[in-house]
Amino acid sequence: MGIKEVIEILNRMQADGVIERYAIGGAVGATFYLEPIATLDVDVFVEFHAEPGSAIVSPKPIFEYLRDRGCTMEGEYIVIAGWPVQFLPAGSPLLQEALAASVEKDVDGTAARVFTPEHIAAIALDTGRAKDKARVLQFIEAGVLDLERLQEIIARHGLTGHWQQFERQFLK
Amino acid sequence: MKPDLARIRESKRVFRKELAERPIAEKLRMLDALRQRTLAIRRASNSDATKKAIVQETPQLPDNK
Repeated sequence: MGIKEVIEILNRMQADGVIERYAIGGAVGATFYLEPIATLDVDVFVEFHAEPGSAIVSPKPIFEYLRDRGCTMEGEYIVIAGWPVQFLPAGSPLLQEALAASVEKDVDGTAARVFTPEHIAAIALDTGRAKDKARVLQFIEAGVLDLERLQEIIARHGLTGHWQQFERQFLK
Repeated sequence: MKPDLARIRESKRVFRKELAERPIAEKLRMLDALRQRTLAIRRASNSDATKKAIVQETPQLPDNK
């Protein structure tokens, strides 16, 4: 059991029409670009569908699909292949853009959709916890960011103040 | 003996870069192992202080390096 199986199940969910598009973010997403970052859960961003006859979007079909395949709920997580997975709605313009711009990566023959490094960094700047700022620094130090693209995302989503504060704290 | 901090920092930087450049599947397997290790440490301790201290670990290189 492992993250690769989580990815295979996400792909199956997509093929079965339970989710339209997904993208992995958080520490697992960052690990696609950086050294492995220890984490206890997997963050998966999706667009939730409205239930038939309702305008309200709901994660219920996701939970029902996975429950029928033996997965269990643990609080806000659903345990897939031994990993607690959190399905998060792409509920802000930044997250919607990140989901739309996500890229496909090959994991030993299995396709995985992941946020771009620039979007992971922008989301971390927006979230703004100490560990998020540390992640932005890791991206910068590793030299994996297209800084021009990051600046465009920052400007587009009103994060210039967050970036300036981050620069003052860590880069100057 | 005075530690050569510049050399240590450079060594860490090279180590992290080498880890980052490993195949994605291998890095994801490292995450699986790191999670198991973190959970084992947590199970072995009921101390809140220990739980709070586990934020991030540096993975070990596999033996076949």
